Amino acid sequence: MELLLQTLINGVLAAGIYALVASGLALAVGVVGIVNFAHGEFTMLGAFIAYLLFVGSGLDPLVSLGLAALVLFLVGSLTYYGLIRPVLGAPELNQMLLTFGLSVALQNLALLLFGANTRVVSPPYQGSTIHLLGLSFGVVPFASFVLSVVLLGGLYWFLGRTRLGLAVRAVAQNRLAPGLLGIEKERIYLLAFGLSAALAGVAGVMLSVILYASPTVGFAYTLKAFAIIVMAGLGNLGGVVPAAVALALAEALVSTYLPGGGGWVEAVFFLVIFATLTWRSWRAA
Amino acid sequence: MKKLWVVLVTLLAGLSLAQTTLRVGVLLPISTVAGKAALNGVQLGAEQVNASGKVRMELVVVDDGNAPATAVPALTKLMTVDRVDIVIGGLASGVTFALSGPVKQYQPLFLCIGAASSVVEQAFSDYGRFFHYHPWDYHNVAAALEFFKYLYDNGARRVAILYEDGPFGSAGIQTYRQQLERQGYTVQAEPFKSGSGSFTAILTRLKAFRPDILYWIGYDVDALPIAAQTRQVGLEPKLIYGAPPAWPVGFEKNSLSNDIAGMTAWLPSVANAESRRFVTLYRRKFGEVTDEYMAPMGYVIALSLGRAAEAAGSSDKDRIAAELAKVQMDTPFGPLSFKPSDTGRTRYQGFNQSIWLQFQYLEGSRRPVFPPNRAARPLRFPGNY
Repeated sequence: MELLLQTLINGVLAAGIYALVASGLALAVGVVGIVNFAHGEFTMLGAFIAYLLFVGSGLDPLVSLGLAALVLFLVGSLTYYGLIRPVLGAPELNQMLLTFGLSVALQNLALLLFGANTRVVSPPYQGSTIHLLGLSFGVVPFASFVLSVVLLGGLYWFLGRTRLGLAVRAVAQNRLAPGLLGIEKERIYLLAFGLSAALAGVAGVMLSVILYASPTVGFAYTLKAFAIIVMAGLGNLGGVVPAAVALALAEALVSTYLPGGGGWVEAVFFLVIFATLTWRSWRAA
Repeated sequence: MKKLWVVLVTLLAGLSLAQTTLRVGVLLPISTVAGKAALNGVQLGAEQVNASGKVRMELVVVDDGNAPATAVPALTKLMTVDRVDIVIGGLASGVTFALSGPVKQYQPLFLCIGAASSVVEQAFSDYGRFFHYHPWDYHNVAAALEFFKYLYDNGARRVAILYEDGPFGSAGIQTYRQQLERQGYTVQAEPFKSGSGSFTAILTRLKAFRPDILYWIGYDVDALPIAAQTRQVGLEPKLIYGAPPAWPVGFEKNSLSNDIAGMTAWLPSVANAESRRFVTLYRRKFGEVTDEYMAPMGYVIALSLGRAAEAAGSSDKDRIAAELAKVQMDTPFGPLSFKPSDTGRTRYQGFNQSIWLQFQYLEGSRRPVFPPNRAARPLRFPGNY
């Protein structure tokens, strides 16, 4: 029983960071209508911002969260204006190739600037542990889970309770009608893409503490984020958190209870994509 | 005055005739820490050789990108455009294995700096111009097992092995397991995905096994998550022993690295005359000291090549190879000479398991702790994780 509870806690805590990465991606897909393959590289930029600030000025990654979000919001906005906007009317394949190219370019830029090495930040609380009722979990995964919940709660509040947020949802649901009501579609796209990048940046800062900073740090999480948004339904922001929890729990359970399960963890999200798409096509038939 | 000019020109002509000029290709993953360190070492060694005045070494450096797809065209360029006869390279096993075909095609004198995998030994088994300086993987295993025997004698009984499920981690895992069991250990081995950062589930399961040693075979990306999550699940092994090809940058400054052990071939604190000389020269040229053993490895390769070229008195690769086969020299790792490899597959093997030493991260740096005759500090066992 203790093992099961510990496994469930491990899964739920992992879901926080999954949801954060996936929410940004879902925002880009749902509102702007673009599959952003460079989302993982925005995460990587966030990780490097945290690393550089920590090494350069000893700034705690928690303090650099806001700065990383702001920088990535600007990077996202510039990317939208410079690259995404011109191809919004182009075929989807062109859009995907563009973001894939951006992903490769950013990754190689990081390789040129920082090399392929793994870099670590060392805040004093990194290995701290909470013991509760015979169960134990890390302070950092717990804090990142709480932060994810707060940020995503804020995002959902923004989307559900503010005029601008409602405008974002309106554009996500119908690309023509909001224009007739005086909603500036371009401005909404810019905001959504910037927010998407900012969320990736925040996730990157957390990853720099939980894992490391390297040019490829965002890759694995982007793959999982794709599985989550497929599971949630493309563009369905409300489904992201439950899908992230389901995926993280599935991984934790497979890893704990399946012999040699650690090697099967990465197969779980492919299975999730496969099962979801198959189920949807059966339902539609 | 005219006579003076004639003498001067004759002297210069004589000097240039006496000096052997070598154009050497250097094929390394220079964007990685190990590759950059190796390049620094080669450059430092070449500088020393050039300073002697008898051999002039010109380096043509190309990046192998740490990937076969980059390395093979880079080697082709070295051989066909830069027209070198001698290549220093082959750091990663996967890359070096991919280079075996093109090397045999272009027939350079290939001085291999890394590539410990026996698969590489097999791939170059029929190539006579292959000089392998780095120990083979079976040497690495022998050195690690010696350390595990010492730990067994000090009360360790259960080993949990976490191995990444790619070719690096899973090759030979069963043999390794058997050898540890033969030493008396109870072993539980678990695969993981390198880079996933998710170890809590596996480590939670391992709690029931109560391992004395947590031995992980993976990459630098796994070092910090394993160190942090071992504490977070309360596993409390007596020793965390890692075997990645490289450690993360800045890991030694992270308090979670404290007491974690691993294996290396050299550290700046190694106390032999050649090591001290290397450290001094390296600091003078680069303004810092490196922990990467690939730096002295590159240095040793360049020095031994210079010595062989000087003895050959020629830039002919076969004459240099013949002299290199006879080289005997002291190095930062200890004595170097070439013998056939233990399996007899390759003719020229430089170092063996005797160069490996076990280190522990202690107070912000890596300190040699085993074998006892090379230890700078006693091993902290049990460690505090």
